[in-house]
Amino acid sequence: MAYDSASLDKPLETLKAFDWGGDVAAFEPIDAAVIAVHADPAARADLEKRLSALLTAGTSRAAKEYVCRKLSVIGTAASVPTLAALLPDTENSHMARFALERINAAEAGAALRQALGTVQGDLKIGMISSLAGRGDTACIPMLAALLAGDSRTAVAAADALGRIHTPEAVQALTAAGGTSDQAVAAAIVDARLACAESLLKQGKRSEATAIYKSLADAAAAGTTPAAKSTRLAAARGILACLDTTSPS
Amino acid sequence: MGHHTPARPASAPEGQTTGTRRGFLKGVGAAAAGAVSAPYVITSTALGNASTPPASDRIVMGGIGIGNMGSGDQNAFLGRSDVQYVAVCDVRKKWRDDGKGRVDGKYGNGDCAAYVDFRELLARDDLDAVHIATPDHWHAIMTIAACRSGKDVYLQKPETLTLREGPLMIAAARRYGRVVSGGSQRVLEDYRDIVHPCWAGEIGAIKSVDISVGGPSQPCYLPAQDTPPDIDWDLWLGPAPWEPYNPGRCDGNFGTGGNSWRSYIDYSGGSLTDWGAHHFGGTIFATDLRELQPVKATYHPASADGKQAAYASVSYPNGVDIYHNRPNELRPATPSVVHGGSIQITGDGRAREAKPVPVYKGTGGIYGDFIECVKTRERPFRDIELAVNTMTGPHMIGIAYRLQRSLNWDVAAQQFTGDAEANRLLDRARREPWIL
Repeated sequence: MAYDSASLDKPLETLKAFDWGGDVAAFEPIDAAVIAVHADPAARADLEKRLSALLTAGTSRAAKEYVCRKLSVIGTAASVPTLAALLPDTENSHMARFALERINAAEAGAALRQALGTVQGDLKIGMISSLAGRGDTACIPMLAALLAGDSRTAVAAADALGRIHTPEAVQALTAAGGTSDQAVAAAIVDARLACAESLLKQGKRSEATAIYKSLADAAAAGTTPAAKSTRLAAARGILACLDTTSPS
Repeated sequence: MGHHTPARPASAPEGQTTGTRRGFLKGVGAAAAGAVSAPYVITSTALGNASTPPASDRIVMGGIGIGNMGSGDQNAFLGRSDVQYVAVCDVRKKWRDDGKGRVDGKYGNGDCAAYVDFRELLARDDLDAVHIATPDHWHAIMTIAACRSGKDVYLQKPETLTLREGPLMIAAARRYGRVVSGGSQRVLEDYRDIVHPCWAGEIGAIKSVDISVGGPSQPCYLPAQDTPPDIDWDLWLGPAPWEPYNPGRCDGNFGTGGNSWRSYIDYSGGSLTDWGAHHFGGTIFATDLRELQPVKATYHPASADGKQAAYASVSYPNGVDIYHNRPNELRPATPSVVHGGSIQITGDGRAREAKPVPVYKGTGGIYGDFIECVKTRERPFRDIELAVNTMTGPHMIGIAYRLQRSLNWDVAAQQFTGDAEANRLLDRARREPWIL
């Protein structure tokens, strides 16, 4: 079906005041347009611009949610400013990330990092979650700094570094050193194990072995939480590194 | 992985806890030491008998998500003499109370602990294993958290909600050496009529499969209602987008027509992955595709005259195609085997050598298979890796329907090839403070 911008006038106007329980059938032309613009950059840009314009004050929360879902499929760097403006907003932050996390543009990563530096509490953990989901390497120094922060944020930062698992992430986790916070320590161990697994998959057996041995030593010394499971996981990893027949 | 300290005050266990397993066993030992003065302290239940292992040999279990399917899973484990069931967790008071009641009724005491927040249940160091039967949007976070806390997991199907979750769940299971079994209790039992002829080689090399089952899930815009006091709505939603409470959004019934969470995209893949997990699971087992993932999803658009609805298929690297809702008139004729009106498997008709059908370990169906593997540390019948492979096809089909186009899947990279929009649908942002 060809894209027809004019046919969206009424559905988009109706959408502004949409609330849960409203007639979603009215938005079927918008749903169809999201599919139709796939191979038509000009139409896609038009649709994106019209949807993005609804992410402003005056539209309902449900309408913003609907728009974010659509932008998560067709959004580009052009939508980033309006989505980024919602990141500090407790009600809409998640749905803004819902779109931004999927937009494969440098501007989206930059917006999430910018918000990471300013929002607090659960919203900050949300930024960490989305940056991890994007595999964003530019945020590694910020995550490294957060490892020394409050417990919940530090756990999230460690989890994210494990998801990103680049050499820089390994370095950040190694440099974190010990902590008396058991939850943070456990998350760092898990992240380091994830990094070692990634290195092993890449055939970097010596680097992976170094992480596993370090964790095994720490477990033997009783300086990691859940020493038994850490020791077993590290031993399993060391054996995998020795097994040259295993996939690497 | 979302295993953070709870943001709000921890919910105290409702009901008396049994204490830790070590504490329990220590208690038995102390009682034994004091047997002269108080021999009656050692119960026959603790010591075991001909049909019941002693407490020290039982698998200590808890359950997360104790509603409809969870209660069935709970009963299956609770009925086993080699399981000691000690804790339940559910965000709904009714399910929580009912689940605790079943356990306490079974053991004749009030010891079963009841939790609102799964993180508190997983923090117990006396648990060997948990079963999880929450809505699908919780599966990955809870399974990975359970593995990290040293628990084996029996996880209801469909094991994954997104394609990105599967590899992370497998990694957590392998990292910590945990037994993680998927939970389709029907795959071996209910599909014998297609499993045995296929493994016996009666229809030759498998060429195609036709599965008839409902479609993917839909967005949910049900109206807001007052949140009843017996549900922790924020925790029910968890990593899913915030939406107002509506009973049709969160009911755990087995329908997919709009009055249950199984209908909606934030919590489920719809009938395609719900009943689909059984039909695809049975089919993939029958055709011995469990080790493989599809390499292509093909979208077949509706006919221009509207008489023929759209349908989809996935293609495996060994040449087998599995069709979802292909019109009957387009299906091949014989030779084939069928499972009711829902599955048709077509072979080349050249009989081939029979292979022995894999079976469950232990006794008691898939539940017994899981418990046996917890004891032996073997991989279970529906090991998480096989479960993830199984669910990959339905997820690919769901994305092909959503985008209305065909997709190629790079198994090694776990990405679609040449379709950036499709790759956006590999996963979704989780609501704070949850992280995978």
